[in-house]
Amino acid sequence: MRTSVKKLVTAVSTSVALMGAGHAAAEIQIGIAGPMTGPVAQYGDMQFSGARMAIEQINANGGVMGEELVAVEYDDVCDPKQAVTVANSLVNDGVRFVIGHLCSSSTQPASDIYEDEGILMVTPASTSPEITERGYELVFRTIGLDSMQGPVAARYIASQSPERVAIVHDKQQYGEGIATAVRDTLKDAGVEIAMFEGITAGDKDFSSLVTKLKQADVDYVYYGGYHPELGLILRQADSAGLDARFMGPEGVGNKDINTIAGEAAEGLLVTLPPAFDQKAENQALVKAFEDKGEDPSGPFVLTSYTAVQLVAEGIEAAGSTDPFDVAAALREGTFQTPIGTVEYDQAGDMKSFEFVVYEWHSDGSKTPVN
Amino acid sequence: MQDLLYFFQQLINGLTIGSTYALIAIGYTMVYGIIGMINFAHGEIYMIGAYTALIAITGLAALGIAWLPLILIVALICAMIVSSSMGWAVERVAYRPVRGRHRLIPLISAIGMSIFLQNYVHLAQGSRNIGFPALIDGGFNFGSGDGFQMSLSYMQITIFITTLICMTALSLFISRSRTGRACRAVSQDLGMANLLGIDTNRIISATFVIGAALAAVAGLLLGMYYGSVDPLFGFIAGLKAFTAAVLGGIGSIPGAMLGGLILGVAESMTSGYLSGEYKDVISFSLLILILLFKPTGLLGKPEVEKI
Repeated sequence: MRTSVKKLVTAVSTSVALMGAGHAAAEIQIGIAGPMTGPVAQYGDMQFSGARMAIEQINANGGVMGEELVAVEYDDVCDPKQAVTVANSLVNDGVRFVIGHLCSSSTQPASDIYEDEGILMVTPASTSPEITERGYELVFRTIGLDSMQGPVAARYIASQSPERVAIVHDKQQYGEGIATAVRDTLKDAGVEIAMFEGITAGDKDFSSLVTKLKQADVDYVYYGGYHPELGLILRQADSAGLDARFMGPEGVGNKDINTIAGEAAEGLLVTLPPAFDQKAENQALVKAFEDKGEDPSGPFVLTSYTAVQLVAEGIEAAGSTDPFDVAAALREGTFQTPIGTVEYDQAGDMKSFEFVVYEWHSDGSKTPVN
Repeated sequence: MQDLLYFFQQLINGLTIGSTYALIAIGYTMVYGIIGMINFAHGEIYMIGAYTALIAITGLAALGIAWLPLILIVALICAMIVSSSMGWAVERVAYRPVRGRHRLIPLISAIGMSIFLQNYVHLAQGSRNIGFPALIDGGFNFGSGDGFQMSLSYMQITIFITTLICMTALSLFISRSRTGRACRAVSQDLGMANLLGIDTNRIISATFVIGAALAAVAGLLLGMYYGSVDPLFGFIAGLKAFTAAVLGGIGSIPGAMLGGLILGVAESMTSGYLSGEYKDVISFSLLILILLFKPTGLLGKPEVEKI
């Protein structure tokens, strides 16, 4: 019995090693790291679908410098611990370009490893300013920053001249960061902040919070975080008769919030990247997604597509697959992408990126408000 | 007046959540009382109960049945049957083969079972939050029109009444029925009960089944009250219910009820008067304090080491 187990282990590990060796062909591996499972897998779907489409189309047009792009996919569950494990296995697999991660709290620890190991990372979704604040050479993004998104939301709230505003966040890097940006801008605008409070991500009972919001008699509630919690807050606030307008960042803006909150999601305000899929020049691409039965309207689909495209164009421009050369090429060049003209500053942030305020409806559709 | 209403509102919130903690805590405390192990998979049984209820509700809606009491009763019965069979199966598969070994072994087996069930639901149902239809809407409002209004929803009343019925039924069952008497005998001394002709295996199975059925009730109630379920839903609730059981005195059924209510009220008062961020800090500090000064919990009896 013992020996047969040993044999089995040897056989499995040998075949794993052989499988690993199979990867080392003349092709460029593009790692895609994001949540395939877990509470925010919905966003992961957007990321994977956008990146896969870009790889498919680039390969159909002859690849990059004559070599084919190969997607290698990793599931980080949007969990910082898992993200580190994923980053390490990317290193082991010899991947040198990563599209990801999605949640800022995953992107940050993973990017430390990528920078150390010389892997180029382009995140299509992480908006936390800290990610590009550390002077890393190999970290880029195809999305704006919380420090841009928060003020857009805050200015909208201030323009509605509310009497009292409450700000709630989920104590995570993304949620708290954006909530702080909103608070600071509102304070500067002279709006009274009745409450600034954290909740625990994964919690389900918000009855006490809702009671408190009712007691504080607020007319706007800003929530920094993701849809699973805000969906429940909306629903529980609705059934407790709280009369306030809710607003959230792009992390709450997807159709899952409708399955959780139902009718209570009507009228929710969300700041989102502009609807790139509505732009006239992207209609051919939108059709390609629709032909595959995929939905290009999610906020991260085209940012992920762009991330792959930038890596490919960076490689072409640098004439090399060395991540440092590609990073230098990305900082120098100007790129025409589905999300507009992209130019990078030294930190790896795009020089311009705008957020738009949308009103969310209970059927999952949205209309711009400003 | 305003502040008083606010206080009562938080009290109601706390008691609602606390009574469901108590329902789940019963499962931990009964199993501990009888075989002295902690069934860490119990939170998952509760989560499976919630999923089963949701599937039953969706199924009935697809059949075009709209009569609310029928939907609730069918969902409840389905959830109880599936959860109870799960509870029974978990005991047969993961605990009975290792019973009587070193006490760490069943504990590890329980943690393994918990991970297995969580991931099984991940695979079978997906990892996203699934919304629960709001079946019981509306409620009573107290207080003046423009100031703070206290609300007591029909859902909260349903939770109180259901919990009360379950607890009373359980107490009667334990104190009056033949199986209940056997349960008490087994919890006093398993070996002796066996010698006296009690089928202890059957009694232990019954304990798991009862605990799982109550957890299924909590699953349906909380699923409707909160509004969504996900595969990790059982883990946190299980942790809280376990805390409640220890707080009240693990092994004691009235203790589990009391512990659940105290924990629920402590949580809502903390969120209400301090900040939601400190909710878990306060409840677990409470647990540590009680364990320091009264290691057996509020209503627990000191355990006599049997030789």
